[in-house]
Amino acid sequence: MYDAPGRTRRQTINPSDYLSAALLIAGAVFFLAGTLGLLRFPDVYTRLHALTKADNVGLGLMVAGLAVQAESWSVVGKLLLIWWLVLIAGASVAHLIASGALQRGIRMWKP
Amino acid sequence: MGNRKTSWPSIAVRASLFTLIWSVLGGGATASWWVGIPAVLLAVIVSVALIPPTPLIWSEILRFVPFFFQRSLLGGTDVAWRAFHPRMPIAPDLIEYPLQLPPGLPQAFMVNTVSLLPGTLSAVLEHNVLKVHVLDRQKNVVAELKALEQIVARMFDTSLNVS
Repeated sequence: MYDAPGRTRRQTINPSDYLSAALLIAGAVFFLAGTLGLLRFPDVYTRLHALTKADNVGLGLMVAGLAVQAESWSVVGKLLLIWWLVLIAGASVAHLIASGALQRGIRMWKP
Repeated sequence: MGNRKTSWPSIAVRASLFTLIWSVLGGGATASWWVGIPAVLLAVIVSVALIPPTPLIWSEILRFVPFFFQRSLLGGTDVAWRAFHPRMPIAPDLIEYPLQLPPGLPQAFMVNTVSLLPGTLSAVLEHNVLKVHVLDRQKNVVAELKALEQIVARMFDTSLNVS
């Protein structure tokens, strides 16, 4: 089963594939943590903590895992660009939601 | 700011940054520059209109990157641990942090970065006071914010006004 000529090297698993898989799985764990936090945490503010921070690291690890497999530098550049855009979008949207919630008088959960 | 002599280098930096982004998006296809060059020029004009050129200290930005990576990894691990923990150890609080950075880009940069540091979330910025939601009030968040503020001040080549 050849998908393209000259791609036989891809049929063997090299060390970089293991690194890539480890990074992708670690990234998935952080995404799971972010979702778990979204479901378990008691109010909008604490949920924003889980979403911004855990997903930022999760996506960073995913991007790193995919960059290891990338065939060219421009693909690595695209992946980094995606990460950076999600990063600034996530941080500013989290700030806007938190500030909107406070101004509407949504009280924060206290133990 | 507004100094003609200092604004040209920073416009050149923006132009080369947008050119780099386009070359990444275009994947090196030569014909893509027929769209790319006008797009880069337009992006420079819009960015200068929206954010006046400010001098940046590149050596300080290079020092910020590893700090940011380390802190955000720590922040993600910290919140992930709290989310997975059966008893969910959180003790949230809202603190007020008076910003000493000048308004504009330095403050905006600080506000966005705070949300990615361990245990802090920028809630409201009003009259140079940043309300920060903290996930665990036991932690010394103020020291962390002070350290970040100093790094941001050095990056944007401004001084913190001691009030």
